[in-house]
Amino acid sequence: MWAYVVRRLAYSLVTVLGVLFLLFLLFFLVTNPDDIARKAVGEKAPPQALEQWKKNHGYDKPRFWNPEHPTDSMLVDHFRRMLTFDFGNSDADDTPIWRRLRSGAGPSLSLSLPLFTLGLLLTISLGLLVAFFRETYIDRMGVILCVLAMSISTVLYIIGGQYLIARVLRWFPISGFDPSPSVIARFLAVPVLVGLLSNVGDSVRFYRAVFVEESSRDYVRTARAKGCGEARILIHHVLRNSLVPILTQVVVAIPLLVMGSILLESFFGIPGLGSITVDAINANDFATLRTMVYLGSLLFILGQILTDVSYTLVDPRVRLE
Amino acid sequence: MKWRRGGFGAALCVLVALAACTNDPYPEADTGKKLLYLPFDEPPKTLDPQVAYSTIDHSVIGNVYDTLLEYHYLKRPYTLIPGLATTVPTPQPLADGRVSYRFQLREDLLFQDDPAFGLDGPGIRTRQVLAKDVAFSLARIADPEVNSPVFETLAKIDGLRDFSERLKKLRAEDPAFAQRRIDEQYALAGPISGVRVLGPLELEIVLSESYPQILYWFAMPFTTPVPWEGVATYDGRDGRDLFSEHPTGTGPWKLVVYDKRLRIALRRNPNWYGIRHPEWRAPGATYPRAGESSDAEAGRLVPSTVGRALPFLEGIEFRREKESIPSFAKFLQGYYDASGIIKESFDRVIRNGELSPEMAARGVSLSKSVLPATYYLGFNMDDPVVGREAGEQSRKLREAMSLAIDSKEYTRLFTNGRGIPAESPIPPGIFGYEADYRNPYREVDLERARALLSEAGYPGGIDPKTGAPLKLSFDSPDTSAAALLQFQFFVDAWRKIGLDVSIAATSYNQFQDKIRRGAYQIFQWGWVADYPDPENFLFLLWTPMGRTHGGGPNTANFSDPSYDELFLEMKARGNDERRLELIRKMRGILEEERPWIELFHPESYLLAQGWLHNEKPPGLSIPTAKYLDIDTAQRAELRSAWNQPIRWPAYAAAGLGLLVIVPGIFTYLRERQ
Repeated sequence: MWAYVVRRLAYSLVTVLGVLFLLFLLFFLVTNPDDIARKAVGEKAPPQALEQWKKNHGYDKPRFWNPEHPTDSMLVDHFRRMLTFDFGNSDADDTPIWRRLRSGAGPSLSLSLPLFTLGLLLTISLGLLVAFFRETYIDRMGVILCVLAMSISTVLYIIGGQYLIARVLRWFPISGFDPSPSVIARFLAVPVLVGLLSNVGDSVRFYRAVFVEESSRDYVRTARAKGCGEARILIHHVLRNSLVPILTQVVVAIPLLVMGSILLESFFGIPGLGSITVDAINANDFATLRTMVYLGSLLFILGQILTDVSYTLVDPRVRLE
Repeated sequence: MKWRRGGFGAALCVLVALAACTNDPYPEADTGKKLLYLPFDEPPKTLDPQVAYSTIDHSVIGNVYDTLLEYHYLKRPYTLIPGLATTVPTPQPLADGRVSYRFQLREDLLFQDDPAFGLDGPGIRTRQVLAKDVAFSLARIADPEVNSPVFETLAKIDGLRDFSERLKKLRAEDPAFAQRRIDEQYALAGPISGVRVLGPLELEIVLSESYPQILYWFAMPFTTPVPWEGVATYDGRDGRDLFSEHPTGTGPWKLVVYDKRLRIALRRNPNWYGIRHPEWRAPGATYPRAGESSDAEAGRLVPSTVGRALPFLEGIEFRREKESIPSFAKFLQGYYDASGIIKESFDRVIRNGELSPEMAARGVSLSKSVLPATYYLGFNMDDPVVGREAGEQSRKLREAMSLAIDSKEYTRLFTNGRGIPAESPIPPGIFGYEADYRNPYREVDLERARALLSEAGYPGGIDPKTGAPLKLSFDSPDTSAAALLQFQFFVDAWRKIGLDVSIAATSYNQFQDKIRRGAYQIFQWGWVADYPDPENFLFLLWTPMGRTHGGGPNTANFSDPSYDELFLEMKARGNDERRLELIRKMRGILEEERPWIELFHPESYLLAQGWLHNEKPPGLSIPTAKYLDIDTAQRAELRSAWNQPIRWPAYAAAGLGLLVIVPGIFTYLRERQ
């Protein structure tokens, strides 16, 4: 298995280098160092201040290739920094990016962990429930509701949730965040609820299909013939044997939990890593943006490897070679 | 049985949670405190006063750093009053056309408490503010590594540029020099010849030329005194903050929480001179006794407030709101004390230009103020068709195009009527603005426009060279749908007089590139005042400020020797009759030459809760929180009344769920049996 993991990591290096190159190319296709400087220093700053800023931040170098000093170009700096995890300072305000990552990880996890855990519990439970009542009106109603839920945009859930729960019913704050343990739940209630609602349709439909398919297998028919209760069959037999497709969806998302949710964090004012990413896009902050994309790609690759490893834990027939 | 018990327990937890729920985003401990709650959408870029140039930056540092001079809170036109200085200095002419200003600092001014002052000795947490601290700030402006955006403007101070060069040279020649403490570096580089520290509290600034507007720069945070100890300590190394995040100021507030993604909190600075010495009755620390005629009517001059020592509040809380809809919703819930108006709710809040009855019933007040800003359309005067090269022909073309644009209709359609039509570059509140002046080319007159076009050699808008309508280009860096609609308004107006203007909207880079190459004809721009002086607007049409050749803000590349001569005399004068006469002459030149089509001066609409007193939109980016007061009892009462949670839908939903699911379960179990 370790040989497999090492081999996967080696292949992933090529992916990561490709991601870094594409990111550099795409970013500087739509913007340029003058824009970054202008955003950082201000619209009214004279050209000399912009030039000085570019010099201080290494944006006065040739973009791709410096014929005089081949290792001294923006592209080479970009690769060197990312591969050595030297993220430097934000272009927008010169604060160390590592410090921003550390401060943003907590709020992101405080939202994404309950969302993930409750989401998993809820969608698997609802999937089992609907599979339990398959071919009845509960099943049909469940599928219709899932399709309806999937058809509604996440932004509408957010705006609707804020309007209904925070403005009309006044149960929780519209937005904001306070990490104090005594009040944090108050600020996370609406974004978690909205996040659950926006994902439930898609996941329940998927899990229902997996459970119903698994329920039609021979061993399940045998268990039923032996007098095993339907609920026991679903939970002890069907659920266990459905873990491979479930893990495919779930494990890959775990490392990405720390990256947060861009939409939820923006609308609810949660200062997580998703929010930092949006700020970086708005501020033309290339240094922060490339860090977020780079870390996101690394975590995604890690999630894929973990998914492959997790198969060996739930299915003894699977060998990673 | 177990699942029944579990289900009952879960239901009980939900009921308890519902009973405790509240939409109040603030800690209970803050209830009843005189804290001002305001939203902000963009985080500050920096709190370094020598660098900060945006509104949000100034909304924080303007409250933390006091300046030598300030603006009178209520008087208009804007008037300078002493702040940390004892008086507003007058210019003293020197030899060779130089001018000097002497500042005398108040005695017993202290910086806020900060561990950085431990550099002066163990246990020391503050010290007196001295004239050398102002000199230190000016040296920072000249420091290339600080990269202050106002260095070029303040390079009129004698020796500032030389100091910058010396510093750069010393750092380049000796890496060890660059590692020295910052105050030592500046000392070794030698003093700035135009910044003379005459005594502990006395400072002389010498300018290489007459520049009366320099006093306005001493009312801006760029020139506020900063302690070298703060700059030296907060260098970002070994886990220390950066100076750009750790202000050490002299103002009425100090920064206590700086999480710019979420919350910025200021609290009273007990070292502020207004709190330590209310007996001084200093103008910057006492509520004014007079203002405009409208201030008394608006309740800003009530006897219980005038002459009182400032500040009235305990603190200011800025909360991050990235989206405007939730931010405005929280204002309506009473959780913000003041707010702008979002376009989605404009019709609900404003009816016929005034506050709607619904808003008025909540005790909300509306303050309107015309901002010291001008938005305009400009012609590239270097262009062969619309510019000066074509002489009389292009002048009449510009005049005709000016007569076709209806500013009032433009503001009605695109700014909800929030703006007044502009007749000249100078906005209200600035010396030189005359409310009864009417620009003869800023009234819609299509017949006269067509006549001018004919005189220009374009009868009916037709270009005789092509036999088709004259083709012109409207260049813009904004490609959004909203902006394109606005540009279409102009294009349609010019089509009425027969011209064919196409919109060339590109990315900002491409637009800047076109500007550099001079490859543009007509554009839209705006300018917000740095300070309340006509020079700050009229310089936008001064030859040395030309964009294409000099990189300056004169994007129209307007160049007129008579205008330039009048400008040079005007900018060196104080506000007197002669200055007004010069401004009128310059205005006359712009009337005829039409390098701009003046559009409008924007109007700000600010909503304030009924419990917020004394607020007046400042127009300029100046701090005003120290003048505000809050009736905390009224706020608590109204917040509670507006935010009672409605619980019955939760109970109804739970009941409905049971009614739907339980029969289904029983039916299934029966069928299975």
